[in-house]
Amino acid sequence: MLAAILASGLAVGAVYALIGITYNTMFAASRVMSFTAGQLGMLGGVLGAMFMTRLGLPALLALLATLACCAAIGVLTEIVAVRPVLKSLDQHLYVLSTLAIALMIQQVTAIAWSTEPQPFPRLFGIGDGGPLDEKFWLPLLAAAVVVGGLELLHRHTLVGRAFLAVAEDNFAARALGLPERNLRMGSYALAGAIGGLAGFASGQLLLAFFANGAMLNFYGFLPVALGGMGNNRGAIIGGLVLGVFQQAANFLFGGVFAAVAVFAVFIVVLLAAPQGLLSRTAARRV
Amino acid sequence: MVISRRGFALGSAAAVGLAVEGLGRPALADSQPIRIGWLAALTGPSSAPTIGFDRGVHYAVDTINAAGGVRGRQIDLVVRDTQGDPTKAVNGAQAMISRIGVHAIWGPTNSGEALATTPIMARANMPNVYPCFVDRLIDPARYPNAFRIAPSNTQIDDAVSEYCVKNLGVKAVAIVGDTTGYGTTAVGTSAAAFQKRGANVVYHATIDPTQPDVTPDMLRMRNAGAEVIVVWSVSPGLCARLMNTRATMGWDVPLAGHPTMGSGEVGKLIAKPENWRRVYILGFRNCSFGADGKLPAHVQRFVDGLDGKIELSDTMLWWVLDGVDAITLIADAVRSSGGTDPAGMIAYWNTLTNYPGLFGTYSFSKTQHNGLPTSEVVMSEANSHHLGAYRLAPGYV
Repeated sequence: MLAAILASGLAVGAVYALIGITYNTMFAASRVMSFTAGQLGMLGGVLGAMFMTRLGLPALLALLATLACCAAIGVLTEIVAVRPVLKSLDQHLYVLSTLAIALMIQQVTAIAWSTEPQPFPRLFGIGDGGPLDEKFWLPLLAAAVVVGGLELLHRHTLVGRAFLAVAEDNFAARALGLPERNLRMGSYALAGAIGGLAGFASGQLLLAFFANGAMLNFYGFLPVALGGMGNNRGAIIGGLVLGVFQQAANFLFGGVFAAVAVFAVFIVVLLAAPQGLLSRTAARRV
Repeated sequence: MVISRRGFALGSAAAVGLAVEGLGRPALADSQPIRIGWLAALTGPSSAPTIGFDRGVHYAVDTINAAGGVRGRQIDLVVRDTQGDPTKAVNGAQAMISRIGVHAIWGPTNSGEALATTPIMARANMPNVYPCFVDRLIDPARYPNAFRIAPSNTQIDDAVSEYCVKNLGVKAVAIVGDTTGYGTTAVGTSAAAFQKRGANVVYHATIDPTQPDVTPDMLRMRNAGAEVIVVWSVSPGLCARLMNTRATMGWDVPLAGHPTMGSGEVGKLIAKPENWRRVYILGFRNCSFGADGKLPAHVQRFVDGLDGKIELSDTMLWWVLDGVDAITLIADAVRSSGGTDPAGMIAYWNTLTNYPGLFGTYSFSKTQHNGLPTSEVVMSEANSHHLGAYRLAPGYV
């Protein structure tokens, strides 16, 4: 019983964490919370299922095609919904523009794909639905790959350092001659791929379902708020804790009371630490 | 009062005109088509049942017209796509009543729309037949014009609870629904029906249809001692997750409830075919295969005679048959009452006892407008879909 709750809690939590990292990656490059993050996760599952079941692609090719499509949608989001409103960030117009794109993605998926959940193929055929089934550990593996990959990118590559420079201070980065616009587009492509990977890895758990986008948008935002805006470590920890707590609450309280319990804890945490549990308030020399 | 020559001439002309109009009306009325309004959610999220109803409706209209119509009058179908939207249904009903002047209306086909249109049709005394489930839609005192040719929610709850308690012999019941308005309401009414039959409702809750894993909920149900899980959800994803999790837990508890559990969408989502065993869904006697693999004789004859004229593989047989019955009932009302006078049509329906429809055997009276007897609401095996119908669940003769 405990193993079942832990397995599903950690798996769902890893998906939330990956969507949180998707939010953070876009936020770091543009200071915009793009509400397309959850839809990218949904698209990862839908596109993966489509490439494998309808087009007959092998799993690896389907994964690469899914990541490429989601990266392209990330770039499109930057061009259509983010860039035009960057000059007036204080008016928070990005809320409307990114929500509009998110709704469009959802509706187009519902029309072109299906309004009912569709099956996502087994990738390795490991497990029989129990706690060691691949549907539970694949999202965790994806989260580990993303965390490791981002560490390598940020610490050992020039592009990664440039991403960090833009995230730290985009005016200074531009003054140093860094191509800020291209780096921002690169960040959105990277965020798209991370979101797509989250959806692909959790396809067997969440199914290929257009309504997952709204759910992931919502629950993926919680780790960001809990862990601190822009803090990937915080998102990972926040996501995993949220997933396990949610499943435990489902078991202890059941039904809608579980959601109430999750949000009660969320509100208490934000009252205690408004900047997030793992975020430090930045000091600015004046 | 002074009567001028001009006034006299105009008045005379008007009087003659009215007289001619009055004399001409019966002849005109007898030859004009019978206009039947069809409020259909042909597009939108709740369109699947309507598409099935629509096939039956068109089949019945074409068949009657090809045979010469009703008392020599052809049936003219007036269709309005409501898209499942109550506002559009109201607009459609008003247009049919006031502008088009239909003689009877079939539909709408979902309760949300019917709750909005029923009072409007009652004010216009418009003969109305529909297949919606919500109990309070039928009230012969307030809506003497409205007749139901499908089960009410109470009949559905009675059929499911009766089957679980009597046929499956269970005493402890878990009831779950999805978090939609329908799911939430259905859990409450279903619990009351089980308690009425002396069963112990050990668990009842709603589950978000997008919840990725239902293991915790199933563990709670098992720990509560549930001997059957009654499911009220239109979400194939949730239904399939319940079945797959049941198999993973090695828990051989039966599932009973909503027909969604027997849909092809669920079939695509279950991990193994055996996960679909011991799942019993709401069904109807006339649309169920018996032990001999046949439908009731008169329905089997109808299906055999279709000869591919109606596609049944992607819809439910009861939707098609109900659509046929609706048109037949309206046509028979015109035939038996001698015309399209609303009072005559309604009076005819009020006299019906054991009317042999395809979907059901209907009986109405002045005080009872729920046409389908509860005995015809049965349970079926979810994994036995064939030609839009299912096999009777174990325990029925």
